[in-house]
Amino acid sequence: MSNHLRRQRPHGLNDLFYEQAAIKTGLEELLLETFSLWGYQRIILPTFGYYESLSAGTSPEIQRHMYRFFDREGNVLALRADMTVPTARLVATRLYDQPLPLRFCYAGSVFRHEQPQAGQRHEFTQAGVELIGAATPEADAEVVALAIAALQALGITEFQINLGQVAFLRALMEDMGLQNGDQYELEQAIGRKNDVEVAATLEKLQVTGEAARLIRALPHLYGGVEILPRARDLATNPAARAAVEYLEDVYGLLVAQGVAEHIILDLGEIRGMAYHTGIAFRGYVRGLGFDVCGGGRYDDLMTQFGSSLPAVGFALGIERAMLASPFQADVALDLLLFCESQADGYAVAARARALGLQVELEVLRRRGDDLLEYGQAKRARRIVTCDSEGHCVLYQRDTERELTLAEIQEEMAGWRR
Amino acid sequence: MEALTVALPKGRMQDEVLDLFAEAGYVGESDNGRKLIFGDSENKLRFVLAKPADVPTYVEYGAAELGVVGQDVLREGGQDLYEPLHLGLGCCRLALAGPPAWRERDLRLIPYLRVASTFPRLTLDYFQERGLSVEVIYLSGSVELAPAVGLAELLVDLVQSGRTLKENGLVELETIMESEAILVVNRAAQKLHFRQIQEVINRLAGALERRKVAA
Repeated sequence: MSNHLRRQRPHGLNDLFYEQAAIKTGLEELLLETFSLWGYQRIILPTFGYYESLSAGTSPEIQRHMYRFFDREGNVLALRADMTVPTARLVATRLYDQPLPLRFCYAGSVFRHEQPQAGQRHEFTQAGVELIGAATPEADAEVVALAIAALQALGITEFQINLGQVAFLRALMEDMGLQNGDQYELEQAIGRKNDVEVAATLEKLQVTGEAARLIRALPHLYGGVEILPRARDLATNPAARAAVEYLEDVYGLLVAQGVAEHIILDLGEIRGMAYHTGIAFRGYVRGLGFDVCGGGRYDDLMTQFGSSLPAVGFALGIERAMLASPFQADVALDLLLFCESQADGYAVAARARALGLQVELEVLRRRGDDLLEYGQAKRARRIVTCDSEGHCVLYQRDTERELTLAEIQEEMAGWRR
Repeated sequence: MEALTVALPKGRMQDEVLDLFAEAGYVGESDNGRKLIFGDSENKLRFVLAKPADVPTYVEYGAAELGVVGQDVLREGGQDLYEPLHLGLGCCRLALAGPPAWRERDLRLIPYLRVASTFPRLTLDYFQERGLSVEVIYLSGSVELAPAVGLAELLVDLVQSGRTLKENGLVELETIMESEAILVVNRAAQKLHFRQIQEVINRLAGALERRKVAA
């Protein structure tokens, strides 16, 4: 067999190491800690499952982008393309009768075989939450506010959340009597904000008059709370009006939490996941050409798995957040240690580690300049070498001091960061 | 307020596009196209000149918030951008062409075809949607040569007047798509700089409207 692939990895996959790996881990920890403070419990889900299960309720695009393979019985398996669908499967099949609401959080890899796009990889990490069993504006507002808290926890300050309402356009389209396929075509054109294409599609679908005027007005329903009365005026049926009022309630609760400054209402944006049924939102960070997080309400997804529970959630792309977050990882070593006597070395290292210091014990038996050079490369804060009599030298920044083993052990307590 | 960056296509459409921006009240000193970056500091716009096929890439990554690109090039690249305005210039069509004898032939009945194209993705999509099997041969230019030297039976290329085809003894067989220059906007920028971008769209739309009235 040819081994020309041995040293490669498939396109769209990344190795992370040094600072980058530490930053990613750090961001994940910050997010999970934030979620936990809001009462969300961690769930850990399988990376792959049956295609039929992991694709339930998703759009044709996502389905096309899923990695698929076979098990030994010939069933089609797939790598998960998001975390929401497998969470819905878990809840709907096993936890549906537990006290509601359920609050779950996760962090893990998802896989999508997409055309390489800006900021998009074939394997990327999502951290997010799902709030299940509550169909109230309070639940939606909590999830949006938590998305804001999550971005803030990462040290991101200049961001905005664009909050839309999928139910509004769906309700309007219902009045137009469009079939699913037609609706999809129209949504594509609206999603591109391509007025010419929208007009052509409306004409092709024979949508005229009031309905057509309304669709064309959609992109301009963007801004602060002042757009809501305009949206209500455009609502042609009770469902569309209810959708606007619901959004208004959610917005009010975000004002009450003091986070409305980050919110832009955006009824012209209809792109969410296919399973979204209510509010849908995305987070944008100044200077970044793509969204860092997104979420929304999905009240019908769990019926795909045999229970009907309303839910709302969001997920944040960690790799994208890494581009936006000022978070720095400190990978410098606290102590590089070499002792002629291994017993001394083990004792000093154990004491230092007990104090929470990061210690590297020299295993190549280097000393002198060789060890100092290595220590510099590893950005060691301190380098200690000891001879067999317990005479030690402590190198710290540009100074060196002679100490005894006992003095080193004593001084160590002050080395904690 | 930060300046917005607009990626413009170098070459064929460059002057026409700059004229339109000038009519919309944006002035840029391009130094006859030798300078690749120039600005309109008063209106907070900065222009960069890029190869046409690279314009959507600049915009997709957010290196430029806005861009001007032919629909053909955009669909070939497949980038996911907002397309808020058609600019009514750079009009052309992507067409299937070949020697005149092919007018009488039904492509369904040809088992296997080779098609030369500078738009491999659109070409392949076009044939695949019809259930035909073709080998698309990618060339970066002068595709009219392909039939003459036996590299391919047919070709897919942009046609404006049809003169180039005629000069090479070729005829247009089918139109694959109509194309014109459109304004494209980065999806995140549209959200983050909504009013600034809306202003650019409105001013360009106003200039187009005035052109229509004048015509």
